[in-house]
Amino acid sequence: MSTVRSTGLAESINATLADLLDSDPRLLLLGEDIGRLGGVFRVTRDLQRRFGADRVRDSLLAESTIIGQAVGMAISGLVPVCEIQFDGFSYPAVNQLVTQAARIGGRWNGRVSPSLVVRIPTGGGFRGVEHHNESNEALFARYPGISVACPSTGEDADQILRHAVTLGSPVVMYEPIRLYWRRSAPARDPEPARSPSAARIVRRGTDLTVATFGAITHEVLEAAHALAPDVDVEVVDLRWVAPIDMNTVLESVARTGRLLVVHEASKDLGIGAEIAASVAEHGFDALRGPVRRLAPDRRTYPPANFEKDYLIGVQEIKDEVLVMTK
Amino acid sequence: MVLKSESAHATDPDDDTRRSLLRHMLVVRGLDEEAHRLQKQGSIDLWASCQGQEAAQVGSALAVGPDPAVFPSYREHAVALLRGVAPDELMAQWAGRTFCGWDPHRVRFFPYTLVLAAQTLHAVGYSIGQRLQGREDFVVVYIGDGATSEGDMSEAMNLAAVESASVLFVCQNNGWAISKPAEEQMRTSLAERARGFGIASARLPGDDPEAVFSACARAAAHIRGERAPYLVEIQVGRIQGHTTSDAQEAYRTPDDLARTRAADPVTAYAARLSDRGLVDSAWLDGVDAEVREMRELLVKEYA
Repeated sequence: MSTVRSTGLAESINATLADLLDSDPRLLLLGEDIGRLGGVFRVTRDLQRRFGADRVRDSLLAESTIIGQAVGMAISGLVPVCEIQFDGFSYPAVNQLVTQAARIGGRWNGRVSPSLVVRIPTGGGFRGVEHHNESNEALFARYPGISVACPSTGEDADQILRHAVTLGSPVVMYEPIRLYWRRSAPARDPEPARSPSAARIVRRGTDLTVATFGAITHEVLEAAHALAPDVDVEVVDLRWVAPIDMNTVLESVARTGRLLVVHEASKDLGIGAEIAASVAEHGFDALRGPVRRLAPDRRTYPPANFEKDYLIGVQEIKDEVLVMTK
Repeated sequence: MVLKSESAHATDPDDDTRRSLLRHMLVVRGLDEEAHRLQKQGSIDLWASCQGQEAAQVGSALAVGPDPAVFPSYREHAVALLRGVAPDELMAQWAGRTFCGWDPHRVRFFPYTLVLAAQTLHAVGYSIGQRLQGREDFVVVYIGDGATSEGDMSEAMNLAAVESASVLFVCQNNGWAISKPAEEQMRTSLAERARGFGIASARLPGDDPEAVFSACARAAAHIRGERAPYLVEIQVGRIQGHTTSDAQEAYRTPDDLARTRAADPVTAYAARLSDRGLVDSAWLDGVDAEVREMRELLVKEYA
């Protein structure tokens, strides 16, 4: 069968952070409840005990404080890796991220290159209360100066984090909450990405390309495996939504002639719109049919009892692919 | 005879320091006036004046010395010049050439931050970062009264307090957040607010650079001795509008403006040092020549 056992995302990120703390004395972690508790998702479990309270810092419960002081720390030569507790709590930090972190390097005319990472648990599907299920990656993707990563596996998160702490500009990394402890995943092609900032083709196919990212990559792969061999779907896990590796998407579309974009964030003015526009501009001749997007309608993430109606499931992905390849 | 403690001795400026205070005040006044002239001619786009705040800026900057990193707001021009930012470097961002015209590392005077109070958190974070790396962690951050309404200011004061960060907050209260008077902005002084966060503080008038120097020297001694933050609130007058785009005559009374101009700290201190015989006309002519040369250079570069 096409499901394999995997290390949970939380455990995997924990190991990467420990290794980074071990190898780079300039690196420190900063976030709410990440020390004594090990984070509300235990992603930083035991790290304070191992590396001390100076380097694994329990921050005040104030998101602007977290990012604002991280900017100052980065100017001083440190490499802060921050955690915002939930996606929906990132908004008080937006000012410091957008007007400061993203612009400091330019404002200093390149005389500082602040490497600053912000890890944000994201997405729904785990019966979270209000503000605990958001997907706001497109918000930060809009701002020049901020890179935005959305890994869907521990292996990708590892590669992305190691790259992010050397980038010299801020990176926001979204970590799907519902993958933190999941220990099985649909099988993927083992082929690695071309570079740490590149997308990854996680299933080769000939009939249609699905471009996707984050937790829903798993549903897309499950749908793709289920549709085989009748429809042969290629799946591109973007891994980064800012900047987007459009070359990989365009090359895939050139092979398959069809593109579906699937994401968990609501559809309007989202990542899917950007990809559809880019393919229309640069890959139109390869298309055998219209580019389509599959994503929730523009509405607030509902209370837990209704989240199944909101989220895109495997069946809907299969249905959409079948409509497009009919 | 009562002997002063060593730190009390250090807090009073000597005569050389007095002349230095005046010289820096006169130079930045010349720069500020030239900037207004250049802006009126369309040679620079905007200018945020520091006229009326010279004593506060020069007194505080000289008192803390060259070691602390300075996180300014956007009108600390006197501090900039005193730290070694060249006049044409200071002007560059107001002429649309760059976001920061100087090398912040060289002068340890960091770029202007136009989003209010954002730099207060950077300052505290920088101080913590320096401390963690075993380096000089004394940091000075400048802020205006208007910006203290921003959440980041309260967050930064609390962070500095709980982290016991070596940060000197210098609030220049010029009485106006553009058109909003201070009495409509707050119900307590900033100094009192700081104490609520557990930060020692002082409040003083900003017309006398010597008093500012002494208060900031004491604050610096406190920060170095206690390894804890401190806030000085300096009450200054705002002689010009918020920026060259502001029309302060629309919301300030002629009496208020006349009073503020009459209380000009630069002319008052020049007169005082002349009366005391600390400077003479030859000394003043020398500074005048320096200012003239600076203004000519600015005209050559920007007009």
